[in-house]
Amino acid sequence: MFFRILQKESVSDLIKGLAQTREVIGPRAKGSEFVFDVIENPDDIVLDYTTTLLPPKKYFLKSKEEMMRYNSKTGQVSEDEVAVEPRVLFGVHPCDINSLLLLDKVFLGDYVDPYYKARRENTLIVGVSCMPTQMCMCNAFGTGEVHDGFDLFLTDLGDSYYVTCQTAEGANLIDKYCETRAVEPADVDALQARIKKFNEAFVPAPDTSEIPLLFDAKYDDPMWEEIGDPCLACGACSMVCPTCYCFNVRDVQDADGVSGTRVREWDSCCFSDFAEVVGGHNFRPKRSDRVKYRFYHKQWGYLSRYGEVLCVGCGRCNTACKVNINPRRVLEALTKGGEE
Amino acid sequence: MAHKKVVFLSLASDFGCQVQVTNFPELLEMLGSIDLSYWQLATSAHMPEDYDVAVIEGAVTTQEHIELLEKVRGIAECVIVVGACACTGGVVGLALNHDLEEAARTVYGKDASKVAWGHIAPRPVDAVIPTDFKVMGCPINPEEFSYILQRAVQGLTDHPHRETLCSECKINENLCFYKQQKVCLGLVTAAGCNSNCVNRGRACTGCRGLAEDANLEAAREFAAKFSLENELLEAIEVYNTARKEA
Amino acid sequence: MAVNSSEVFRSLGVNPYRPWPARITSITKLTEKEKLFEIRLIDEEVRNAFTFESGQFVELSIFGVGEAPISISSAPSKQGFIELCVRETGTVTGALHKKQCGDIVGLRGPFGRGFPFDDMKGHDILLVAGGLGIAPLKSLINHIHDERHEFGKVTILLGARTPNEILFRRQFDMWKHREDFNLYMTVDHADETWDGDEGLVTQLFDRIEVNPDNTYGAICGPPIMYKFVFQEMRKKDLDVEKIFVSLERKMKCGMGLCGHCGVGHQYACIDGPVFSYWEAMNLQEAM
Repeated sequence: MFFRILQKESVSDLIKGLAQTREVIGPRAKGSEFVFDVIENPDDIVLDYTTTLLPPKKYFLKSKEEMMRYNSKTGQVSEDEVAVEPRVLFGVHPCDINSLLLLDKVFLGDYVDPYYKARRENTLIVGVSCMPTQMCMCNAFGTGEVHDGFDLFLTDLGDSYYVTCQTAEGANLIDKYCETRAVEPADVDALQARIKKFNEAFVPAPDTSEIPLLFDAKYDDPMWEEIGDPCLACGACSMVCPTCYCFNVRDVQDADGVSGTRVREWDSCCFSDFAEVVGGHNFRPKRSDRVKYRFYHKQWGYLSRYGEVLCVGCGRCNTACKVNINPRRVLEALTKGGEE
Repeated sequence: MAHKKVVFLSLASDFGCQVQVTNFPELLEMLGSIDLSYWQLATSAHMPEDYDVAVIEGAVTTQEHIELLEKVRGIAECVIVVGACACTGGVVGLALNHDLEEAARTVYGKDASKVAWGHIAPRPVDAVIPTDFKVMGCPINPEEFSYILQRAVQGLTDHPHRETLCSECKINENLCFYKQQKVCLGLVTAAGCNSNCVNRGRACTGCRGLAEDANLEAAREFAAKFSLENELLEAIEVYNTARKEA
Repeated sequence: MAVNSSEVFRSLGVNPYRPWPARITSITKLTEKEKLFEIRLIDEEVRNAFTFESGQFVELSIFGVGEAPISISSAPSKQGFIELCVRETGTVTGALHKKQCGDIVGLRGPFGRGFPFDDMKGHDILLVAGGLGIAPLKSLINHIHDERHEFGKVTILLGARTPNEILFRRQFDMWKHREDFNLYMTVDHADETWDGDEGLVTQLFDRIEVNPDNTYGAICGPPIMYKFVFQEMRKKDLDVEKIFVSLERKMKCGMGLCGHCGVGHQYACIDGPVFSYWEAMNLQEAM
């Protein structure tokens, strides 16, 4: 790993250079919000953005994708090579980089998802530092910093970026396409000042100690009805979540009635039919059951298998939920009580 | 497998959904795998006496409609209702807010009883006969219609689950109308249109009817925070006045 | 021998979502609602690579309709084909019931954790099935049958609602007189053809003797049955870690990816569907 200083005015050189060989995706404005989208003109990228509406997950686990073509008469199945043009995601926040590492554990684990894998392998990640908003709670999960999962990371020092080159490919690209200079002691001081400022900007994190234990201890607590009953069952929380990975698969028959396409689409455990089995039995019939399960899986289910919590504290669900169902509220309700 | 015989018929509607189907090129391809026995919009022939799938558009507004539906249900193994009028009663259902005789006089003038006789309170098709599939919307999404017609001709009866529209709207990265203090029905309306209107900058008017999962109470409380509760309830009425549950 | 299809998929470098074409080679009508399908993978290499253990399931594709998880009913000792005992309840199972001998379907698998067959060897066995619960247990029963000398006393308790709904009845009627299997059957509602027990499967426990130190139990049936059968097994002092249950959930992908079969903090498709009773007791939503 090595470090360079990149003047902000040189960022457009880097983007133009990257665009010669790959599609550049980055944050850009959409009304008062931000979205990850194709950057055709480097002036369109907004690197000091707050949070995008959807996380970069959409470029790896597509909201809807064709998995394979089938012929229902012969049973022949054909998959095209997962066609992915080389890409760079430019300007990804630490929480979102960490979310991809969590998805990797699922989709690149025992069973390798070829669609996810192809896109992951063809995508470079350039991270960028951020300042917390009122909704952010990565300070609760330690996901406000990254140690892995990127090629370059740009920490904002005002007029310049402190660039961490994590991979050789990242280092080569920055050398190739833009002017940088060596790090000087004053830059390190500025970096430290920036880290302090970042940490001080947070709303205090909720207590996360013993959450799995408290989850089971309070599994039948009335708090779940109170939090979960107003759920609109819209699934917005899952759609905007960088770590939600549930999907549904269905066959779409062609007009000829013989061949067709097997497609998968994002799903949400907050939809009423999510845990319903054939014959009609629903293992989570109530809205509050489903809301509870969503948090149970994130805070304990995933943790029990992979050793980490399935939440990076990006705050998107907090913004998207119309009825105030969010991890901060759940953690606060779980840790409430026990006062002397 | 023998081709399934399909008939298309209309009750009280503006034929918009049938026109929408004609805009869909895949339908012509599909004609190779189905037998389109009768299509009210496109033919003056008489309806055949046997068929497998009946596609019905429009709301029920006359006693004749009821008799027709009962006959159809006795013949068709699968009944697909298409469009807001057939699925929820739609805009036609708004007549329920008025005295029917008076409404007829307003529309047809003093000779109303000669031209508009036999009217009954408007209702959706499933208030009269059991239905197998609903393709909601005003007008329908032809892609969804094609998917469901394909399921029907395969003899399947699994109705796709429809969550509320907010889910699709999030996928499309639209900005929420409530942040601009405007009512949008996406939070209670059945998804499946790919948030077509919102993608184009218009709030959802709820033409696909209420979603199975809709939580009206919570939606009302949410709208009340913006002092939009009454507007929300009025907006819901437009397509849901005559819905079966009402 | 643990069978883990993830290793097979990985070594073959194949897309684990991709179903392999398979042919229905035999269909036997068992009851009004259930049929037994014998299915052979068409590709010989795949067919030879396909090994499984009792309690595991496959994802069955009816192309154009969808996929559904179905437990394997035949014994792992039978190579070259699998048997699926399927009730006509859902979309995919409904479409399967319309298929005929020779028709093509798709298969993926096997998936999940089965019964600990090797650990069970050298012990007495007590198997309890209610209704369609016999589908996964049938594989275990047949496997034990094929290696009968490895086991002590084998007791099977079967329950069904009516005599007409007893699955594999012809085979079990013959087994009633076997000395190497203690088979007891009961129905909730008897008719004139029935001269056996009438009542719930739990009542059969009065008739059997169990050596608690040396017995493995397995229970499969409708969820409501588990608790009551478990209580009977505990009355006989069976070890909670030696009682096994198979949990039914919506296992859409079979690989712990799609999220649909979550049960408490685990996934039925990869952590189960067979769990020890102790594990199941420690899973929220399991019982």
